[in-house]
Amino acid sequence: MNPSAIDFNVSEVEFIVAVLLAAAIFFWLPAVRLRQLLWACGNLFVLWLVLPNTQSLAVLAVFLGSGYLMARVLRIWPSGWLLASYIALLVVAFLVLKQYAVLDWVLPRILIRDNVLLHLVRITGLSYMLFRQIHVLVDAAQGQVARISFWSYVNYQLNLFAILAGPIQRYQDFDEQWQTLQPVLANPDDLLRNCLRLLVGVVKIALIAPLFYKGWDELQVSLVNARVTGWKFLVEFPVVFYAYPVYLYCNFAGYCDIVIAANRFFGMKLPENFNRPWLARNVLDFWTRWHITLGLWIRDYLFMPMYKPMVERWPKRAQSLAWIFYFLAFVVAGAWHGSTANFLIYGAMQGLGASVAKIYENAIIAARGRNGLKTYLKSSKVRFAAILLNFHFQCLTLMFFSQVDCRDAWWMLRGLFAASTGYKV
Amino acid sequence: MSDVRMQAQEVFRQVFDDPEIVLCDEMTADDIPGWDSLTHINLMVATEKRFKIKFATAEISKMKEEGQNVGTFLALIGKKLARTS
Repeated sequence: MNPSAIDFNVSEVEFIVAVLLAAAIFFWLPAVRLRQLLWACGNLFVLWLVLPNTQSLAVLAVFLGSGYLMARVLRIWPSGWLLASYIALLVVAFLVLKQYAVLDWVLPRILIRDNVLLHLVRITGLSYMLFRQIHVLVDAAQGQVARISFWSYVNYQLNLFAILAGPIQRYQDFDEQWQTLQPVLANPDDLLRNCLRLLVGVVKIALIAPLFYKGWDELQVSLVNARVTGWKFLVEFPVVFYAYPVYLYCNFAGYCDIVIAANRFFGMKLPENFNRPWLARNVLDFWTRWHITLGLWIRDYLFMPMYKPMVERWPKRAQSLAWIFYFLAFVVAGAWHGSTANFLIYGAMQGLGASVAKIYENAIIAARGRNGLKTYLKSSKVRFAAILLNFHFQCLTLMFFSQVDCRDAWWMLRGLFAASTGYKV
Repeated sequence: MSDVRMQAQEVFRQVFDDPEIVLCDEMTADDIPGWDSLTHINLMVATEKRFKIKFATAEISKMKEEGQNVGTFLALIGKKLARTS
């Protein structure tokens, strides 16, 4: 194991050069098995880079091994109770390993003090592995996984291009491509476009994102520490407010550009994760454009299991109560992002936004009917206003996502209100 | 018109509250007002009840993906009915 485990960075020159070199020889290998072997070596190398010690490897082995075995069992014996029990166990293990504050009163003090557990076991990408594991298990239990092998499953979970932060690929899609690993860049134009995407990703993540991060970081620290007020606050606050979302978008979308392009060099298509998110007209629309694969996962494995039974039992009432499940699903998804209160607040705000969007849509349908809704949505003025409103709502929620102390974020919001209205909250 | 198509058409009309819907294979969610993620689940549940079949999460999700349309949806129903009979 690597005692000086690093945070693996896909925008570094070494990574890009290694990808291009490996891609150049990849399809010269005469057999699919050899290509898989080369890919698996890459996965192992990255694992060695990011895993700090043997106990982390042991825990990861149990996590993946038990998931694989359970998937095999569930394919043969699709028991809902077994599935629910194992997922509950998995989630508890995840909460413990990530040391969520909510478990402080359950865990022995020795593990909490000085983050002992975090030093003992640290698995990069565990959050995404959890998502993939739950997806495989649910699909296996529902007869949607035609074949599963340990070789394919482990490489799916440890895919070096998606281990850090997704995108969350479906196992079935991975396995289908893994079995053949044919070139997907059919002509020089495709190849050139892919190289360009790689370059665009590097520019976003290594040039633009740090610029905005630096501006945001310096200003928000000085704003909060000096407790700036008045006109100076009104000048500096918008920079803090808008710079972080730009940084986050460039950083994450750039990362996705790089890993999707890199994967394509090796004959694998990863799902897209961004589709002009700042043009979303409400929170629900936003999550079909921003971190798309997470949005789909939330819909399929959090929202649907809560909403579908409701429709089955009370079909007429279900739609008007859907906002409750949207709220719950987003709170859980928010908490998944991290173990601090910031992410819980972020999730709750997203949930609130999604619920309001759904309630508002239902109100329009009730007043004007579905055709009325269609006409309403077609209006360019409504569209412009909705995009503007949603953009600012997302910037607001990201103030909590940015890991700024919740009290400081609240202070900034109160400051904005006071500076713009003259009233103190 | 086949029986499956006719029954599915009735389900569509009920779920989307539109008695004028006429199903054709090329139709997608964009062609029917109100076919969003939520009504998609309503549609799937109503279809399950009508045909006494069960859709898996992955199947429900896939039906909303690009390249899917009413034709592929009817084909899936047909496949499930063939399995149960």
